[in-house]
Amino acid sequence: MSAATAVDGAGSPAAHAVRRPAMATYARLDLRRQLRDRIGMFFVVGLPTFMFLVFGLGSDDPVGSGNVAMYVMISMAAYGAVTATTSVAGSAATEQVMGWGRQLGLTPMRPVAFVATKAAVAMAVAAVPVVAIYAIGAATGARGHWSDWLLSATLVWLGSALFAVYGLAICLVFRGPNAPGIASGMIVVLAFLGNVFTPMSGFMLDLGRLTPLYGYVALARFPLTDGFLPVAGRDALWLPVANVLVWTVIFCLMALWGVRRSRART
Amino acid sequence: MTDTHAPAIRTSGLRKTFRAADGGTVVAVDAVDLVVQPGEIVAFLGPNGAGKTTTVDMLLGLTRPDAGTVEVFGTSPAEAVRAGRVSAVMQTGGLLNDFTVEETVRAIAALHGRTDRVELVLERARLTDLAPRRVEACSGGEQQRLKFALALVPDPDLVVLDEPTTGMDVGARQEFWRAMRADAALGRTIVFATHYLAEADAFAERTVLMNHGRIVHDAATTDVRAAYGGRTLTFRPPAAVDGTDGIDADWLARVRRALAPLGVTDVDVSAASLEAAFLALTAEASTTEPIGAAR
Repeated sequence: MSAATAVDGAGSPAAHAVRRPAMATYARLDLRRQLRDRIGMFFVVGLPTFMFLVFGLGSDDPVGSGNVAMYVMISMAAYGAVTATTSVAGSAATEQVMGWGRQLGLTPMRPVAFVATKAAVAMAVAAVPVVAIYAIGAATGARGHWSDWLLSATLVWLGSALFAVYGLAICLVFRGPNAPGIASGMIVVLAFLGNVFTPMSGFMLDLGRLTPLYGYVALARFPLTDGFLPVAGRDALWLPVANVLVWTVIFCLMALWGVRRSRART
Repeated sequence: MTDTHAPAIRTSGLRKTFRAADGGTVVAVDAVDLVVQPGEIVAFLGPNGAGKTTTVDMLLGLTRPDAGTVEVFGTSPAEAVRAGRVSAVMQTGGLLNDFTVEETVRAIAALHGRTDRVELVLERARLTDLAPRRVEACSGGEQQRLKFALALVPDPDLVVLDEPTTGMDVGARQEFWRAMRADAALGRTIVFATHYLAEADAFAERTVLMNHGRIVHDAATTDVRAAYGGRTLTFRPPAAVDGTDGIDADWLARVRRALAPLGVTDVDVSAASLEAAFLALTAEASTTEPIGAAR
């Protein structure tokens, strides 16, 4: 009954003892909402799993310290993780623009806490395809040194955070309800260019080295391949590292510009 | 920290300009001085573009004024929002389509640290039966009720409503105002923006008329009504004289003659208003309990 009578306390400051926002509860509700989105989760888990089964299952030819199945497994887990962070971050930006942000603006939650919560949700969703595809890979004959498993999974998971910044940037630049779709659609194109789906060579490979997914996936495969490419040649470690750093700077600048621009309108 | 004797709202010289698409500037709000005491019910009345929403945004700390000051219960709007003393139903406040009604309330309650109020607030907005429904499956009026529930979460002393009945049909609109009246009786300060004169008339004790970003009139609602042309008396003729081609002319002439000695100068014939007809046709046999009257 104490809660019911709180209305009668209108006007008395005692009724408004400062209460701490329960961020974990909000994050849990938001995570559940994301995982319930069947179409979204199909692209995050279903599609990369399917592609692993098609391209990687039972391919026991040696690659570096493991086999082709392992190589494809890392690539597809990375694709799934990146799709997850892109769409969660993208939808966060869109939610802000479409008015939920105004609703949140009337709560004691600070913007920093919102970003932190969304980041946690994005990383939790990104872990789903990594765990699922690595488990399927382990069960179906992907082979590699134990350190390859551990390091590549860590790099795939943590590196996907870069694409949360990408998703945020794209959705702040192309506003509106279609923006998250644009961001994840471009991920497919960038995955082809980034040597994620099919091994490239020659001019396409030279071009692909400059695209954002190339560095991230090459780095995740590095423990397995030691930089050797499937068709021919070898990347030195500095190349994927430089790629990731440069694109981090570019995406951050784009996101900052987008935030500034969206503020200027109000 | 907060002054208990401070007015609910105090603004002085409030001004806000926007950059227009053609590069010029548009003055949305200009020289707005306003004091609202705790417990008052005040309507902001004006046409679209009068500056109502911009004023509301500044009261809530969502927009920073270019000049002038805003205080809510003696503090900044942002401070008052953080303390849960002010909340709002916003015209453009969005909901997440893939949350259910209950999850939406739970999420906002979590951010206020008031998860204890979820059940109560759902009940008071009469959403308990809709709790498991997805927001996207709710009608415009139901979504509006959900926004109202969210506004009640922090148990605010001041509720700001920006065009709160948008998307509601006539019955829902009346029910909403009945609920707000019950809420106001509990001592909340209520400020609402509307472009329906009838809403201000029925609900607010005081009406602030806005146009072109300025306050053009600020007085008791009865005075504003008088300025709009006083009251109108309506009565219904007997069925016998009410034919398909209008009221019987002889009978009408007799009415005019009979009323003339009473000082009536004009008799106007009009069909029943659409609103009245709609209500009569759709009114439920048993009127449900109004929102907010629960408990």
